[in-house]
Parts: sequence; C-alpha cells; structure tokens
Amino acid sequence: MGASARAGAIAGVVTIFLAAVGLIGNFTDLNLIGTQVTFALLMIVISPVLAGYVVTSPRVEGGERVAFTLGQAASAGVVAGALAGAIFGAFVVFVDVFGVDRIRPIFLNISPTLMDYLTQDRPAIVAAAIIVAASVAAGAAGAVYRVLPDGIRKPLGSAVWVTLLFGFLQRIVPIALDQLDIERDWLYSKVTRGLTWPGAILIALVTAGISVLKARQGETLRGAIRGRGNGERRGPLTLTPLSIVLALAGLGAVLIAPHVLGSVIAEVLGTVMVFALLGIGLNIVVGYAGLLDLGYVFFFTLGAYSLALLTGATLNTFVGSTDPAVALDLNFYVAVPVVIVIAAIAGVLIGAPVLRLRGDYLALVTLGLGEMIVVLVTSPWLGPLVGGPQGMLDITNAAIGNFGFRDPKHFYYLAFAFVVLALFVSWRLANSRIGRAWTALREDEQVADAMGVSTTSYKLLAFAMGGAIGSVGGALFAVKIGSLTPASFQVLVSIQVLGIVILGGIGSLPGVIVGSLVLVGLPGLLREFEEYRLLAYGAAVVAVMLLRPQGLIPNVRRSRELHEEDREQDKWAGDVAADEHVAQGPSPLGEGAG
Amino acid sequence: MSPALLEVEGVTKRFGGLSALNELSFQVDEGQIVSIIGPNGAGKSTVFNVITGLYPPDEGDVRLRGVSVVGLAPNRITRAGIARTFQNVHLFPNMSVLENAMVGMHCRSKAGVFGSIVRTPAVKREEETVRERATESLDFFGSRLAGYRQDQPAFALSYANRRRLEMARALATQPALMLLDEPTAGMNPRETLELRDHIVRMRDELALTVLVIEHDMRVVKGVSDRVIACDYGRKIAEGTYEEVANDEQVIEAYLGRKHEELG
Amino acid sequence: MADSGSERAVDARLSGFATLPWRRIILGILGATIAFVVVVGSYRTLTLPEGERFSGDFWVDQAVNGLGQGAILALIALGYTLVYGILRMINFAHGEVFMSGAFISFFFADAYQKSGLLNSRPYVALTILLVVSILASTVVAVLLERIAYRPLRNAPRLVPLITAIGAQLFIQNAFRGFFGPQPRGYPRPQILEGGIEILGIPVAKVQLLVFVTAIVSMIALQVFVNRSRTGRSMRAVAADSEIASLMGINVDRIIVITFVVGGILAGIAGLLFSLAFTQVQFTMGFRPGIAAFTAAVLGGIGSIGGAALGGFVLGLLQAVGPPLLLTGFGVPSPFSLRDAFVFLVLILVLVFRPGGLLGSGEAEKV
Repeated sequence: MGASARAGAIAGVVTIFLAAVGLIGNFTDLNLIGTQVTFALLMIVISPVLAGYVVTSPRVEGGERVAFTLGQAASAGVVAGALAGAIFGAFVVFVDVFGVDRIRPIFLNISPTLMDYLTQDRPAIVAAAIIVAASVAAGAAGAVYRVLPDGIRKPLGSAVWVTLLFGFLQRIVPIALDQLDIERDWLYSKVTRGLTWPGAILIALVTAGISVLKARQGETLRGAIRGRGNGERRGPLTLTPLSIVLALAGLGAVLIAPHVLGSVIAEVLGTVMVFALLGIGLNIVVGYAGLLDLGYVFFFTLGAYSLALLTGATLNTFVGSTDPAVALDLNFYVAVPVVIVIAAIAGVLIGAPVLRLRGDYLALVTLGLGEMIVVLVTSPWLGPLVGGPQGMLDITNAAIGNFGFRDPKHFYYLAFAFVVLALFVSWRLANSRIGRAWTALREDEQVADAMGVSTTSYKLLAFAMGGAIGSVGGALFAVKIGSLTPASFQVLVSIQVLGIVILGGIGSLPGVIVGSLVLVGLPGLLREFEEYRLLAYGAAVVAVMLLRPQGLIPNVRRSRELHEEDREQDKWAGDVAADEHVAQGPSPLGEGAG
Repeated sequence: MSPALLEVEGVTKRFGGLSALNELSFQVDEGQIVSIIGPNGAGKSTVFNVITGLYPPDEGDVRLRGVSVVGLAPNRITRAGIARTFQNVHLFPNMSVLENAMVGMHCRSKAGVFGSIVRTPAVKREEETVRERATESLDFFGSRLAGYRQDQPAFALSYANRRRLEMARALATQPALMLLDEPTAGMNPRETLELRDHIVRMRDELALTVLVIEHDMRVVKGVSDRVIACDYGRKIAEGTYEEVANDEQVIEAYLGRKHEELG
Repeated sequence: MADSGSERAVDARLSGFATLPWRRIILGILGATIAFVVVVGSYRTLTLPEGERFSGDFWVDQAVNGLGQGAILALIALGYTLVYGILRMINFAHGEVFMSGAFISFFFADAYQKSGLLNSRPYVALTILLVVSILASTVVAVLLERIAYRPLRNAPRLVPLITAIGAQLFIQNAFRGFFGPQPRGYPRPQILEGGIEILGIPVAKVQLLVFVTAIVSMIALQVFVNRSRTGRSMRAVAADSEIASLMGINVDRIIVITFVVGGILAGIAGLLFSLAFTQVQFTMGFRPGIAAFTAAVLGGIGSIGGAALGGFVLGLLQAVGPPLLLTGFGVPSPFSLRDAFVFLVLILVLVFRPGGLLGSGEAEKV
C-alpha cells in the first residue's frame, strides 16, 4: 500500500506540474475525440493511469515473480488514483480560495482559463471531488490493465493508443484524405478538428481486430516476410516475395507522400529528413564509436556556411546584399563534395588533439566547440565573411537544369536521396571490418588497441565521417531555407540531434528515422507544442536513460551492453546459458590481484 | 647465434615509489615455450604490459627480433607479431564468439572505407578470408568453440570457454610470440590439463613461441622448455624446470607463501 | 600461421607517414599559434597610438569586473568540483541549480521592492533573499540527485552524463513554462548603488559585496570540509567510496549532503549575480554553468582550492583577455567574442593540461 500511496502522491504532484507549465490550460480546445477527450483531459488523467500501471509491476519475492491479482491490482490502483486526485483536487481548491489573480502574476499558466476548465462552472470542492473520482478510475484502469490476460490487454492497449495517435494526427490525415478527395467528415470533424466519436470507435475496433489477428497469425506472417524458420542463423536479409512487396509499398508511400499530404506537411517532412541525416551522422560518432559528441552543431554550421560561400550566396546587410570576402560560384553538386572534404579535414584537425580525452571531458570540449562556432558566426569580426547576426541570402536552390529544389515538395526528394545515400554508407560500414573495429573500440578501448585496432585512427575516422555527414545536412538545410541566420544554429541543435539518436536507440539506423519523425515531425505538425518541445526532450531523455537506455528501437548489441549489470546478476543467481562448466568462483570478470 | 625472438633488457618500471620491475632481463628464443613464475606481486603482469606497449619502461629496452618496440602503440606491437591474453579475461562481451576472433584478424586485413562501402570483390574475398582464419583459430580448441557456439554472444560463455576465446582471439592476430597471462587460473584440473596440451600444440603445430605466466606447477612442468623465476621485479633464477625448482633463492621466495605449489 | 615476425617488426617502424607523431605536430602548431596571438596581440594592443589605446583606468576596471565575475564563477565551480570529487561525474545541470535560486528569489525581491521593504530594511530583505535563493537552489539540487542521478550510480559513465543534459533542458524549460520567457529586472537596494574607492581603485558597492560574500563562503566551505566530521566523511567518500562505506559512513547521505552544499553555494552565487547584473531569465544558467565548469577544470577538477583559483583566474581572463589579445589584431568589438574565449580556454586546458593549474599535468588514464 505504501508503494501505491507514494506513486499516487508523485502522480498528483506531476499533474500540478503539468498545470503550472501550461500543458493543461493551453490545450483545453485541442480536441482529440469529440469535444470531451481533449489534450487537457489527457494530461489530467495520464499521471494517475501511469501510477496505477507502475504500482502493479510484478515483484520478485523469494526468487519468484509474483503478479497482482485482479482485486489487488484494482485496490492498488484505486489508492494511487485517490491520492493523486486528492492532491490535485486540493490544488484546485487552493487556487480557487487563494484567488487565481494573485497566483497568475507568478505562475503564468495558472490562469482563469485553466480554472474554468477544471471546475467546469462548479464550486471548487465539487470539482475536486470529481477530479478525485476521475483519478480513482484512471488509477484503477492503469492498474487493472497490467493484470489483464494478454488476449484482452494487447488489443485494448493498441486500440487506445492508436486511437489517441489518430487524434493527434488531425493535422495530417484529414489533409491527406482531402487531397485524395475522400470523404472524411465522419472520421475527422471539421468543427472540432479532432476525431469524431464514431470515427474513434471504428479505429479502436479495427486496431483491436488487427491486434488479435497478429497474435494468432503473427509468427507465420513474420516468417513469410523474413523467409526463414526458427533457429536459423541470423544472416543477411533474405528476399522473399512478400518482403519485396512490402518494401516496394513502403518506398512508394514515401515517394508520393509530399503530393498526397500537401506543401505544409512536405515542408515539415523536409526538416525531418535533414534531421534524420544529422542523426545518421551523429549515430556513427555516438552509436558506432561510442564517442559522446555534444557539439555536432559545429559541423552543421560549417556545412551550411561553407556551402553558402562556395555557391555564391551574398551577405545580408542593411544596404541590401553584398558579396562576402570570399565567394565562389560553384554548382551545388560540385560544392557538396568540397564541403565534405572541408568538414573531414576540420574533423581530423579537431579530433587529433581532442579524441583521446575521457568520455565526459570529450563531451564538454565538443560542446565548447559547438558554442564557439555559433559565437564566431554571429560575431562582427567574421561579419565580412558570413554576415554576422543578419546572416546570408541567395543560397542556391540546387537546381538541375530548370528544376529547383527550394519548393518544399521538391526539396523533400533531394533530402530523401541524401538520406538514402547516408543510410547505405552507414549500413555498409557497420557491417564491415571498420564496423567491427568500432564495436570493439566501443566495448573496450584498451583491449581493442591491444588486439591490433588503432583506436586513435578509428575514433578519428568516426568523428570525421560523422562530421562529413553532418556538414551535408547543413548544406541541405541552407538550400531548404534559402538564407542563413545564426539563430538557426544554436547549440540546441546538437542536443536535439542527440535526443533523436538516443530516443531511437543508440546505434540503430531505423531508430534514427523514427526518432526524427517523432521529435521533429510531431512538434512540427502540432505547432502549439513548439513551446514544450524542449521540455519534452529533456523529460524524454531522462526517462529513456532511467528506464530504457537503449531507446525506443533498441540496437541489440547496445541493449546487451547497457544491461550488462542485470545480466551479471542473473548469472550469479545461477541462470547460465548452455555450457558444460559452471563458472568457478566469484564474478569471472572482476578484478584480481596484480 | 641467431637473435632471440624477444629480448627484455634491463627493464625497470616504477609506480609511484614502488619498483614493479627492477632491471629485469631475459631472452626468449624462437620456437620455445618459456614460463615465468614467481609469487604474487612479483611484477609478472607488468612485464607483459611493458612488452605489449601498454606503458613504456622507465629504463631498459624490449626488442623483437633485434628491433626495439619501446614507445610503439600497442596496436603496432600486435601488428609486429606479439599477441597476449589478460589475467582477468577481457573479451568484447556483446560481440559474438566469432566476431571476437575476427577482431583479432583486424591487423591482418586492410579493407578501407571506400572498399567497405562499395564491397569490391577484393574486399569480399578478404572478409571471407578473415572469417576463415578466425574460424580456424576457434577450431584450434576443438569442439569447445565450434558450430553454434560461434554465434553466441561472448558474455554467455562459461568461464573456461571465455579463456579459450581470449586465446583464440590472440591466435587470430597471427603472432610470432604469444603471451599468456595465467591462462589456467580458475580452471578445474581437467580443463587445466587440456589447456596445457593446447599450449604445447601452439608450439608444435602453429610454430609459435610462447611466454607463459603461470602459478600451476603441473602446467609449468608440462610445457616449459625454460623457466624464469622472478621476485620483487627481478629475475632470481633461470633454467629448466628442475634447475629452477631446486634453486635455493626460488625456494626461499616461495617459503611462507604456498610451499605446496612447488613440485 | 605465424609469418615472419621480424619483417613485421621492421614494418612497424618504417611506415613513415603514419609514424610521424602527428598529434605532437598538431598540438605544437596549436600551441605556437596561441603563444603568437597572446604575445603579439598583447604587445600590439598595448602599443597602440595614444588616441586608440586603452587607458590604465580601463584595464583596472576590467580587472575589477573580471574578479567580481570570477568570484561568482568560483562559487558555482565549487558545486561542480564537489560533485565530481564524490561521483566522478559532471553535474551538467548545475547551471540550472544556480538559476533556480536566482529566479525564485526574484519574486520575493520584486515583492519587497514594491512594498518598500527593500530600501527601508535592506539587511533584512537581503538576508531573506539569500535564504530563499539558497533554499530554492538546494531543493532543485537534491531533487536532481534523487530522481536523475541516484538510480544511475552504477551505470556506464555516459549514461548519467546524458541524463544530466536532459535534466538541464528539463529544468530550464520548466522554469520557462512556469514563469514565462521574458527577462525580469532584479531590483537592487539603494545601499548597494554606487561605488567606493579602495586603495585608489574604484569598486562598485555591489562588487564589494560579491567579493566579500564569496570569500567568506569559500572560507566557510574550507573549514567545513577540513574540520567537521561530515567534511571528513565527504573527503573519505571522494577518495574511495567503497572503503568509506566499510568504515561505516552512510555514502548515500554524504552524497546528498554534497549536493546540498553545492546547492547552497549556487544559491549564494545566484543572489550575488542577480544583484550585480540586475536581470534574471530562464536561460541565465547555461553560459555561467559552462564557464564555471571551465573554471573548475582550469583550476583542477576535484580540488576545492582549484575551483576557487580557477574561478578567479577565468574571471580575469575573460574580462581582460579579449580586449588585450584581439584589439591588437584589429578585431572589432572583441567583447562579442568573450564567450568563445571562455570555450577556447576550456578546450586548451583539457588538451594541454587536463589536470588543471593545480594538477600534475598528466592526462588521467581512460
């Protein structure tokens, strides 16, 4: 019970936090389903739900996993929910009594709008009671969900989150349907902008159905796609007819996306592509070689400004535009290789002295470099070269013949091409002698060196390659926007790209794409969340590191590394994988006498 | 007289105020198995670390076939032909058994960035060769590291197999000289004898020169062409096993420690 | 399987291009360039013609300013160094601990100014502000340790660092969410306005307060760490936490206390900063945070004396350095490059002398 109470208390405080930060009050009219399920409502109930869910995680008692019974779960969830609701309810009453107008000057988001929504024209005490009731229900739901049998839980879970997802996708799906001239008012209401109730129910049922089907036929389906039976060695991808069809379908979808989804969405997707490219580059540095680089914006900026200078951009000055101190007028496609070479050289020059520093020192030095280049590019000193705070204009549009790429729909394809290229290079490297060297270096640097891998060379290689890809990202970005201002090149870019790599799973290429879609695409489409993006990043990074350091789509290798500790303990408890000898003595990987 | 494969001459290494190695000198001739014995703290692992370039000696020289290797990076020295195992096993835990061995082949292959991306026929052939040679090193240990084992992650292996894998990985670097640091530590008698035979096979079948640090005198007796005894970082005796085992200084050094270890 | 070893041994030496000590060469060139800039730049700045040259007063002003800023940096740097000494990790979010104290105290300061208390009873007001700032900073520091760092005590080293980055982002933007992005003007009580002369050098009253408070705090810290039982425990845990726990020291508690101490110092720094610069904003923690970390490294990370020394030295460097070194080369508005200067110092220290001024000059082994 203590655990439930504690979880509930934390949930209550978190909800107050969400209110204070504005995630409730500012979203009372972001309708997800109908007009009842708003984002604000979601924020109010999500903490109790999670509290209930967390509280019922199976315990290990006496070496055995003990799960909760339905009754136990329900009561635990109720307790958690009740406490959460009580705390938040008390908060509501307090604000009402103290007076919103006295709090608002300090906590901007404790506003009349918020209070109106929370009290719904009822006296505060009543509202609080309702909140308690709702939280109790939420907590119980979260708790009970955990202990439901798989057959019910999986379809239910999928149904809920997919429906909510569609609610969030109200900026994409209706537009796509409109473009394709498909009736969509029954699904997405033009009035509320969110899902309609019938539409939501339909999506829920369909998802649940798919989930049930997957459970029954999943194995055979996966086998048909991947073309191998159980227990076969993990080899290179085998091409079955089904996998080819799926791949082509996926490719087709990606290619026609801009036309189906319209310019606005295409523009966001273009940015997603650029960040995906950056993510692929940083993935080499952080994921393959294990070097924490916090200054990736350095290469991004270098690439963008180099491209500008090489392709004849002009400086944006008060008197119109003038030419920079150094200017060439190359074609975009000639300039890009030059940019890559510049970035690689810079990477080597910087890396040589810096890469032998220990992990956290390296992180801070790279951060310093990232900051430095931003300061330099903004400075009056380099103004004659790169335009200072006003930046540069007239960036090339990478035209081939008459076909320019500045149009969002066209840029998407240009970026996509580069992303595919980078993916290919990255994938090939990962599965080569070089990738092996990087992995060895990452697992144990000194031993790798002792085994003949020149650690300095390979660290440098990873850094330079990552830098080269990052600079191409910068060059693309310059083309996309057509002008450059230092404001686009803040250290935050480094951190965002790092967030993408982490969230998607350090070392995983598909993860980088997913990470980019989620961390760049979603906020891009849901503009009101722009303000909360960094807050969410921070929370997500901390959460991922605490719960699942391998990210959303784990790279199998990395997973193993980060859970080494757990494994060691499992082994110690006698859970050894097939082998004839039992480990002798204490932990064999421990340190012995000199 | 042909130059010895390995010459350690007057090597001194200090840590803080303590001399781990004190003007240590010895030679290892090609095709021999030489054991280094001595009580704990005698500086034996330190010798290996100096030879393989982990840190330089404060004084003295280390020569491979007459050419000094002091000051070279460890990976260079490995490339030059010296391979080692560690006292505490240091595998790459999340790489598979085969991949661990393939890392050993790194310094004997040369696929570069361009080749790796484009996968030229030459590179593909080299990958095949790397795989073959790595498998050969694993097969040296018979069925222990063969077949389905090769795809298992290294952390899943039993202790004895981990030691074997470390040796296989070192073998994969195709060395001239193998340095084995207490290879049988923690093994049961059966495994120990098996390993002893492996060491002899390294000399006989693979034409390697082996330098072994060992505590288990049955192994020392069974493999050594020569034995070097150390204490407090200096050599106190050298010769055949019988000569060293009966040397007064050696007995004295072991007195009060585990006297049963001898003979 | 064993190819001829001697050929390879020779091979290892003769691959000319690769055996050049590239690292030494690049470092040498870097060092030479830095030396050149320092020597030639200073000379040229100081020998500019009469009209363009900076006056002696100017340099004195810059030095005093620099020392003042350095005092604040030192206080924050101490927080970094203490946590590093105990956990061997860089508390990347410490800058936000500093910001928290300053920002929360603003609301009180604002209220006191409006009510007049700030000027009618300045000492009372300032004391309360100090307490508030310290409390706020300490709460944030303790929450950080509890939520983000404690669960990761045994994780591979990169994980807590990344977590710290996430935490830094989170805290900064939480404050933005709570209180809004606008900078707020921090009121300064009348008694702190104006300046006085000390030994012929003009010093602002605020600066004097900053100096005195910072030095008193550092002395108090030194006494605490060296003379008190808790301080002894802290030093024990910093030296070897396993043995310390075997000696009966509650390591968890000591770690929390370390964060508390760091928080207290950051809270003091927060108030001083606000009084000196009269502005608070949700972003105010980031740059001082990095600068303070640089100071800690400059002095020798893990060393209390080092952090203090590093703080003052860096403060001086960043105030005097840009005009001194860059004006001589004709760089316009050198102060805009001040931040770059700080980062450059960080990079140079870590590359050339990672142990800092008080360290041994040797790189720590990985």
